[in-house]
Amino acid sequence: MSEKKDSIFSIGLVRGLVGMLAGYLVGFALVSVIRLILGFPIWDYNPSGNHYGFSEPAWVVGAIFGVFGFMLSVGSTSDWLKWANGQSTPDHPTDAFPSGVRRFLSASFDHKVIGIQYGVTSILMLGVAGIFALIFRSELAKPGLQVVDLQAYNTIMSLHGIVMIAGILIGVGAMSNYLVPLLIGANDMAFPRLNSFAYWINVPAAIVLLSSYFLGGFDTGWTGYPPLSQRAPLGMDMFFLGVIFVGFSSIFGALNVIATAIRMRAKGMSYFRMPIFVWSALATALIALTATQLIGLSFEMVMFERLFGMGFFTPDKGGDPILFQHLFWFYSHPAVYVFVLTGLGVISELLPVFARKPLFGYRWVALSSFGIALVGFFVWAHHMFTSGMASYLRIPFMYSTLLVAVPTGVKFFSWVATIWEGKLSFQTPMLFVLGAISIFLLGGLSGPPNATVATDLHLQDTYWIVGHFHATMFGGFVFPFFAAIYYWFPKVTGRMYNETLGKLHFYLMLPAFYVQSLGQMQIGLLGMRRRIADYDPALGITVQQLLITIAAFVIFASVLIALTNLIYSAARGPVAARNPWNSRSPEFMIPSPVPVHNYDQPVIVVGEPYDYGTNYAFVNIDPDRIVAAAPAAEDTAPDPSGSSAPASSPAAD
Amino acid sequence: MRPPEPPKNRRVLIASSHALFGQGLRSLLEERKHARVEIVGMVSSLDEALKALETAEPDLIIVDYDDEKLNREEFLARFVEGEKELRVVLLSLQSAQDAIVYDRRTMAAAQIDDWLQERDFGANEPDGARQPQPAENHADTRRVKMNRRLKKAVHLIIASVITLVVTVALSLSWGHFRVLPEAASAQAVPIDRLFHIEYVLIAFLFSLIVVFMLYSIIVFRRKKGDTSDAEHIEGNSTLEMVWTVAPLITVMFLAYLGGDALAATLAPEPKALRVDVTGRQWTWNFTYPDFGISSTELYLPVNQQAVMRLSSTDVIHSFWVPEFRVKQDALPGGPDFVRDLRITPTKTGEYKVRCAELCGLQHAYMESPVVVVSQAEFDAWVAKESGVSEDPAVRGQQLTAQLGCIACHSVDGAKLVGPSWLGLYGASVTLADGSTITADEAYLSESIQDANAKVVEGYPAGVMPQQFIDPVTGQPISDAQIADIIAYIQSLK
Repeated sequence: MSEKKDSIFSIGLVRGLVGMLAGYLVGFALVSVIRLILGFPIWDYNPSGNHYGFSEPAWVVGAIFGVFGFMLSVGSTSDWLKWANGQSTPDHPTDAFPSGVRRFLSASFDHKVIGIQYGVTSILMLGVAGIFALIFRSELAKPGLQVVDLQAYNTIMSLHGIVMIAGILIGVGAMSNYLVPLLIGANDMAFPRLNSFAYWINVPAAIVLLSSYFLGGFDTGWTGYPPLSQRAPLGMDMFFLGVIFVGFSSIFGALNVIATAIRMRAKGMSYFRMPIFVWSALATALIALTATQLIGLSFEMVMFERLFGMGFFTPDKGGDPILFQHLFWFYSHPAVYVFVLTGLGVISELLPVFARKPLFGYRWVALSSFGIALVGFFVWAHHMFTSGMASYLRIPFMYSTLLVAVPTGVKFFSWVATIWEGKLSFQTPMLFVLGAISIFLLGGLSGPPNATVATDLHLQDTYWIVGHFHATMFGGFVFPFFAAIYYWFPKVTGRMYNETLGKLHFYLMLPAFYVQSLGQMQIGLLGMRRRIADYDPALGITVQQLLITIAAFVIFASVLIALTNLIYSAARGPVAARNPWNSRSPEFMIPSPVPVHNYDQPVIVVGEPYDYGTNYAFVNIDPDRIVAAAPAAEDTAPDPSGSSAPASSPAAD
Repeated sequence: MRPPEPPKNRRVLIASSHALFGQGLRSLLEERKHARVEIVGMVSSLDEALKALETAEPDLIIVDYDDEKLNREEFLARFVEGEKELRVVLLSLQSAQDAIVYDRRTMAAAQIDDWLQERDFGANEPDGARQPQPAENHADTRRVKMNRRLKKAVHLIIASVITLVVTVALSLSWGHFRVLPEAASAQAVPIDRLFHIEYVLIAFLFSLIVVFMLYSIIVFRRKKGDTSDAEHIEGNSTLEMVWTVAPLITVMFLAYLGGDALAATLAPEPKALRVDVTGRQWTWNFTYPDFGISSTELYLPVNQQAVMRLSSTDVIHSFWVPEFRVKQDALPGGPDFVRDLRITPTKTGEYKVRCAELCGLQHAYMESPVVVVSQAEFDAWVAKESGVSEDPAVRGQQLTAQLGCIACHSVDGAKLVGPSWLGLYGASVTLADGSTITADEAYLSESIQDANAKVVEGYPAGVMPQQFIDPVTGQPISDAQIADIIAYIQSLK
């Protein structure tokens, strides 16, 4: 066995890539044979005039088969295949997986390994998308074309958007996968194999997505509006397929989070005793589960138009181009709440720890996540105020959009009330949390001018919008993501990061981001349109453009410092204490790094999650605080027999 | 003052298997005479405790938290089941602060804190006179409480004042930094007004959150070496209600203002100049159907509303002149997908229409000049573009097309509603009253302005309009225009 383990094919990723290549070849062959039979040309056929060897359908089918090939070979599906074959498999086959670094490059059913896999993939994707941003920011540093040509600019700009989005979705997956089971006192996710599948499908999806750059690119932005996307090069199909497969990951991941949060909470953890992060993860998962289909559907329909000449969005064929925008935004607006709700959950989760005070209005904060999720489903058409949809429709969507401010406001006010009269300390995670609040505030407050139709007539499709959503993304995801990374880093690696470098990261990134975001908003108001490779110097925005570019480079440099810090500290950092933050959360009651099966005894919730300022514990394994008996509710009464709680053992999927 | 109640001793039961714990506690409690504690029993096991519960009827049970022999959880589980009002304190000797209190009657975790405040037995008893120096004690407590409240209020007041100052400062800054391009259309006025309102609102909310945050960061820092927690404040439902309802009302009002401003930008004027705007990758084309002009530059007369009829021949484009503020996508797909955008330029000058919807390769360069000029200059431009500035007959031909004259008057001799113009000029015309007249300039001019003055035989009276309005100016046609029309008729031989 040991010989086999040393083989490069013991690494799931390698097997997957080989399987993917095989899948591509099968797909090419299949379509080519069919085309041969039907008498179509096999080579060099492409309606857009770009030539990439095989025909467009062959590339599409090849990519689909490639993803299948990857998934069949990587190891995530092997248990399912065995079950289909009548074989049984162990619940926790930890021995079957490689150890060391290879463990993270192969399929694993452990939510912590999968969480780290998600996290690393996310950082890679965000890094790639960040490099795309640097390329086109260099281009925009001054008027005229210097760095790239128009086609490359459009593709890089479009890829920046979608790769960032995929990276954020994967980052959200990282946080919810790693944290939800730990926070609710469970030992794994509800469906470990589905969890593994949901992670690994991102890898071939990302490859397909990035392959679009080499297949002619696409010049539609991440929104892919037809009819432009019907005319775009072959890269467009790869973009569609990549998004569709990342969407599968979202849906499966969401299913898993919901099942886990509902079914696997520790004994005594009523819904209103869940850590607040779990609330936001649950709200996020509900959106992802119910909305993601729409973006997949809309992209699939455009692909069918391209491949089969069907007419859904082409007026000549009885279609309507505005219909696409409705379908697209029905997902893509709630999707931004998928991006940010998790991050807002991190903010709410960390603030009490560093303020040494209970989360102010826990129930309100918890329910506000659901409020945002719910309202988020009724606001999509605010992206279409100038699209030419029925004019009157703009009014109800203006009202519903402005409603989002209400639950969001509850969060802000509750956060401020939490730190008010607290005893704040400012380690790196707290700095990022406070930075996140201020930036998300900027993003949130730049929202109402977009929501009121009259002002949006000016703002739509300008850099104001770019500034607005980068502020919401940085405040709602990037800063909280880094806060979460620094905060749980000792729990994940068992080592402490370097505090000085962490603070340097923060103090570079925060002001740079303010320069970037405010600059974007200003030039947008002054007339800078979105997604343009060059701009009119007469607009008088050249200085701002240069500053934004410099700020972008500073942000990237700060992230490089962070990565250096994290990688070095993971290997060489000082050994971390069990509970470096003096947190009440159950994961900080167990050793760092978290043992393979998380909790060696069933977790029983005996108190409130954020009762700082009292001496009572949250769970029954807190050595620093008094573990009182569980209060009256019958299902939370202590279990004197000490028998293992069924809720804590992962169910088989 | 409440009426004094008869003093009653608290009946305390001590549960511990360690004799020292019980005895120590007993002597401590008995030392504090004002606490009026009566030790009604000392037990060392659960069974004894349950028995004592019936016999000794304690008000309070003090449990040795550190005692491994007493199963605390079971102990509590048994004791919280009963009906009688009863309090249980778990005391630990390992850390003086640790004590858990259970009140059989209420049981809520949140109320334990309040109970703990009463830990000093007797302090809350109605008859405080039994305490040593009760009056001073009472006053002290009140003073401490007052001080704390005052301190809290001072923090709030300072932060609120700073918020107010920052809000005012930010609000006044509007207009002092470059955020919006020059407003050059009537539609920009309500939009900019709404921008201003929103800016003030944003300034207030931004100040509110940021000032309170920075204030907390500066004032509520943890002091060096302080590892204790902050005050235990879980929330305040009234406050939560306020900051739910107040924003709700605010945003609904904002939405109302938004709808109002939108309506103002959409308001049509009857004499709007029609311009058919067509986007194609990657140029704009402007057609003036009233003048038969097609141009790559958008010429607009100042202070006259123009209605852009937007369409596209390929992909979606978007018509935007930043100085005019309003924006509308141009859609492909034919007449069903034509969308209107109304713009009333208010300032002469040169602007650019910039495509705002990503439309492919050269999207960045899809910009066309917009020129807003005076009415006279516009007329001159129209005349120049339509190439009729030299020949009055051609000008007249266009005018008659615009005015609709040729719907009734043929130019080829055919008999329509009115007499044909072919060969009319200089000819002899028989009128309805039988007289004849030569169709000269005077006759034609009169007939254009007062058609019923001389009606031609065989044609109905009262059909032709009494007045003709120039579609461009909205004014009755001028003498010069009438001369142009006559020149046109004259040319029809």
